[in-house]
Amino acid sequence: MLPALWFCTLKQWRSHKLRVLLTTLGIALGVSVYFAVRTTNVTLLDSLKLTVEKLAGKATLQITSGESGFPEEVLEKVRSTPGVLFAEPVIEVVAHTGFSDEGNLLVLGVDTTSDQKLRDYEFDRTQTQIADPLVFIAQPFSILLSRSFAESHGLKTGDKIPLFTSHGRKDFTVEGIFKPVGIGEVFGGNIAVIDIYSAQFAFGRGRNFDRIDLMNEPNVSVESVQNALKERLPAGLDVSAPEARGKDLENAVSAMREGMMVTSFIALLVGIYIIFNSFTISVNQRWKEIGVLRAVGVERNNITVMFLGEALMMGVIGSAIGVVAGYYLAAAAGKLMGTAVASVYGLVSTPKAADFRFSFAAGSFVVGMVASLAGAWFPARAASRLDPALALHNIETRRQEAVLGWGRTSVGLLILATSMSLIRWSPPRVGMTFQFFYAALMLLGLTVLLPKLVQWAARALRPLMDWAGGSEGALAVDAMIQSPRRSSATVGALMIGLMFVFSTGAFIQSYERVINRWMSRMINADLAVAASQFLRSPTYHFSEDLTSQISQLPGVKHAESVRFTVVPYENDSAALISYEMDHFLARAGYAVDEGDERTVLEKMPKGEGVIISRNFGLRFGVKLGDPLHLDTPTGPLNLPVLGILDDYRSEKGVIFMDRSLYKRYWKDDAVDFVDIVLQPGSDVNAVKREIERLTSNSEHAFVYTNAEFRQWVFGLVNQFFLFNYIQLVVAILVATLGIVNTLVISVSERSREIGIIRAIGGMRAQIRKMVLLEAVAISLVGLFTGAIAAVFNTYFMVHTVSLVLAGYTVPFYFPWPLILITLPIVVVISLLAGWWPAQRAVSLQVIEAIGYE
Amino acid sequence: MVPDTLTNHADSYPHLAHNNGRLNRPMAHVMIQLVKVCKEYSVGKTVQALRGLDMSVEHGERVAVMGPSGSGKSTLLNLLCGLDEPTSGIIKVDGVELSSLGDDDRTRARRVKIGMIFQTFNLLPTLTAVENVSLPLRLQGSARCEAEERACAMLNRVGLNHREVHRPDELSGGERQRVAIARALVFRPPLLLADEPTGNLDSVTGDEILNLLDDLYREFKSTLLLVTHNELAAARCDRILTLHDGQFVKEERLAHTAAKSL
Repeated sequence: MLPALWFCTLKQWRSHKLRVLLTTLGIALGVSVYFAVRTTNVTLLDSLKLTVEKLAGKATLQITSGESGFPEEVLEKVRSTPGVLFAEPVIEVVAHTGFSDEGNLLVLGVDTTSDQKLRDYEFDRTQTQIADPLVFIAQPFSILLSRSFAESHGLKTGDKIPLFTSHGRKDFTVEGIFKPVGIGEVFGGNIAVIDIYSAQFAFGRGRNFDRIDLMNEPNVSVESVQNALKERLPAGLDVSAPEARGKDLENAVSAMREGMMVTSFIALLVGIYIIFNSFTISVNQRWKEIGVLRAVGVERNNITVMFLGEALMMGVIGSAIGVVAGYYLAAAAGKLMGTAVASVYGLVSTPKAADFRFSFAAGSFVVGMVASLAGAWFPARAASRLDPALALHNIETRRQEAVLGWGRTSVGLLILATSMSLIRWSPPRVGMTFQFFYAALMLLGLTVLLPKLVQWAARALRPLMDWAGGSEGALAVDAMIQSPRRSSATVGALMIGLMFVFSTGAFIQSYERVINRWMSRMINADLAVAASQFLRSPTYHFSEDLTSQISQLPGVKHAESVRFTVVPYENDSAALISYEMDHFLARAGYAVDEGDERTVLEKMPKGEGVIISRNFGLRFGVKLGDPLHLDTPTGPLNLPVLGILDDYRSEKGVIFMDRSLYKRYWKDDAVDFVDIVLQPGSDVNAVKREIERLTSNSEHAFVYTNAEFRQWVFGLVNQFFLFNYIQLVVAILVATLGIVNTLVISVSERSREIGIIRAIGGMRAQIRKMVLLEAVAISLVGLFTGAIAAVFNTYFMVHTVSLVLAGYTVPFYFPWPLILITLPIVVVISLLAGWWPAQRAVSLQVIEAIGYE
Repeated sequence: MVPDTLTNHADSYPHLAHNNGRLNRPMAHVMIQLVKVCKEYSVGKTVQALRGLDMSVEHGERVAVMGPSGSGKSTLLNLLCGLDEPTSGIIKVDGVELSSLGDDDRTRARRVKIGMIFQTFNLLPTLTAVENVSLPLRLQGSARCEAEERACAMLNRVGLNHREVHRPDELSGGERQRVAIARALVFRPPLLLADEPTGNLDSVTGDEILNLLDDLYREFKSTLLLVTHNELAAARCDRILTLHDGQFVKEERLAHTAAKSL
């Protein structure tokens, strides 16, 4: 029997090629994003680890201390540790070149007199003078370039290369070229070497190093040297083998990776929804055929098997396309991610082709097939339950649809309530898989409720459509009122698409609101000077000299140094921001959201405690009054938590402390921001011009007024939402595709009705108008249901997704202006999407459509 | 009596008016005229569905077309209502040469001149009885209220005043066909084409429908062309034409009395 049913299915495929194509592409979309995200994540991590290993050379151990680095004195202690053969200091920065076509260059600061013991540079002897390293030291702005970078920019020994340093744009003299092997392969060959002391000066490192790479003596085990170093060095310094640093890198880019995973889950959900949608329509289309099959003796189970078999076959084809497309998507995404991690995290990766992992491909394939079956399950079940007697009758015999019953509505409400309860009260530690299961449950509840929602919305819309569109408008919307089953699939696709648009907008606007509130407290200086275009940069810092120079400028009341760095904390990391607390707290108005205001004002400037951000507290389980233990490069630091406040600068959480305390323990006087308070009556723009003049030649500086700074922060927030914007684009694409897909199918399904209207005198133009008005009606109802769905999804995003990605929840805000802006856009898109189906409807052969001989 | 629909819409279709000279009652009393009408289909090989048909039906006449399956009855009906075009020959309905018109003009002609009744009713399942009946009027541009008022009157005339807000699935077969008849006559077309109107009904209900058609035919003074297999239904007509292999092979004129007809 099954081959016979399969034959029927193939016949259906032949006559509904477009539906089959779009459904298969829906699966392919979900699988490709899923596969690409998994592949990109692993490729990115592999690339980061590979870079660490290549840069480490022959080093067996590396000493690091977050982003802050550590004092030079540590080097002597390391070198004098028994079992250490060589120990070499390193400064590693991603610097901007002055070339318009080349953004970043990895600059490695090493001791040129001894570093070749650890790293083989494979110099091009015809073009290098490194044989005499003293030449290098004698000229502070000397540089060695990889051959690939030198050749691509036409540089040779003796030429100048412009590089942005902490002291502005400086020309470095090319003293040698090394071959693109070993470290020369790193960062796509965009690598350069300068002297370590030059690097300290050029990139504002003071008397600190970023890292020490060392090699143990051959007769001593790595573990014993590691243990010896751990004993001798402060706990704030991490001693690990290069290959063990993968975990740190994983942590550093976790938000980005989780953001990508969220995108892939959403793509899968969208894929499942497209299948569900398509199969619901298919069952409606094959109503009569199912009746005939049942009448000739096909059992209910076999009807189910027929539809699930069709889904499985589409799943196989779609998954295969998805895996292939996903591989190419991963290759493209890999490049994008490499640039993003360099810009945002200052991490250097070595471009490598996306690995085609069979296990990922097989996993994605299975996920695609399971998603297909899951999406087709309910429509297949509905098909098997069709009453053959009813199905065999003419279209006039269709009865009040069961989808409108209150039983179904109650079940939908119950599912929705259950999912929202789980989202609200389930602890975050259950993990992302469970959280997304709740979201899927929420979508299921909304889908079950959809026919009723469609009917309500269409009833509300009828008077308007009748008034605006005449009989064609009324006819267009009548179909939705009387037969929401048919429209539900179309509206469902739109609902999901618009739900993502609205809830992403709501998510972003909710963030903007809290950030506005946060900025009014935290960004309270009249002017700010930043060392980077990003919130923080591991590369560029100022020295305290700049703060002193600015404070001398006319109109400036005082200038304060701020350091924003990342420090290790409990096998993870957290942001550390040090302010000159007496000035800062005096301006902040109210200092903390939790904690005694007076104690904070009294103890923080003295360095007798810290303030933590709320997400830090949630992430690490630290509460008000708890002692906070920090391992610094100079030893342990224990301080009480005096206050908790909302801060959104790091998904890892933020620790705030007084700058003098930070300097004392971290031996780091670098400056990332200078906050400037002006004398009353001073002209902000005049002072800004003065600072720009002061920094134009000597500093890599960005000067902002308070308003500009806020704008700049919003720009950074938007970068954080990069993945949400990608989701937004995918959502709009899916919604548009949904309208085209479902209208084409709707026209095909309604061909007999259209034929009847034409037979009783309906003009082609009237049919076109009717289909276009139906598209508008569907889009308006989709907008309404999308807005309702967005209420629930926004709650999921501000509560759960925010907690997973950023470590905190944000207040719920619903974007009414966005919905109003979307209204005309959706109508225009629906008209465009409806044009082709309308043309198809117009060109229907009436005789065939009404089933004449 | 001049059908008010035609008078009402004469201004709306100047092209038709130009085509036949006038839209009001034609000078000659010929409602349907076919001159050497051929229809060929190409389905791998060429099939001749109609082979040079000549036919003339006068205004107010009732004509039955009979013939075995595949004889060309439905093809003839499709051509008469302008759903299809002849391969050659001339088709005139109420003085309008359908065979020379484009699709849109044929649709306009159908909209004001031809009421159609189908064997399978062809009601829109999502609309109520009154909405189905008012649909042709609304497609002609009538306001909803006015269209539904006239539809209610028509439903009342076919004995369905109590079923106005019921959808097709809530009606019996006979009731559905009454709704279809109401829809066909609501705009008072001069020509009524009926394709096996009793084909899907039991004999008692079929008789009721034929009686209703008789009544309405007299009341509306329209022309009726009935395609049927049912000899009793054909016997109610003035003339019976028998089609075979795309050609009329027999014509039978019936002498009616009122008693026989009813």
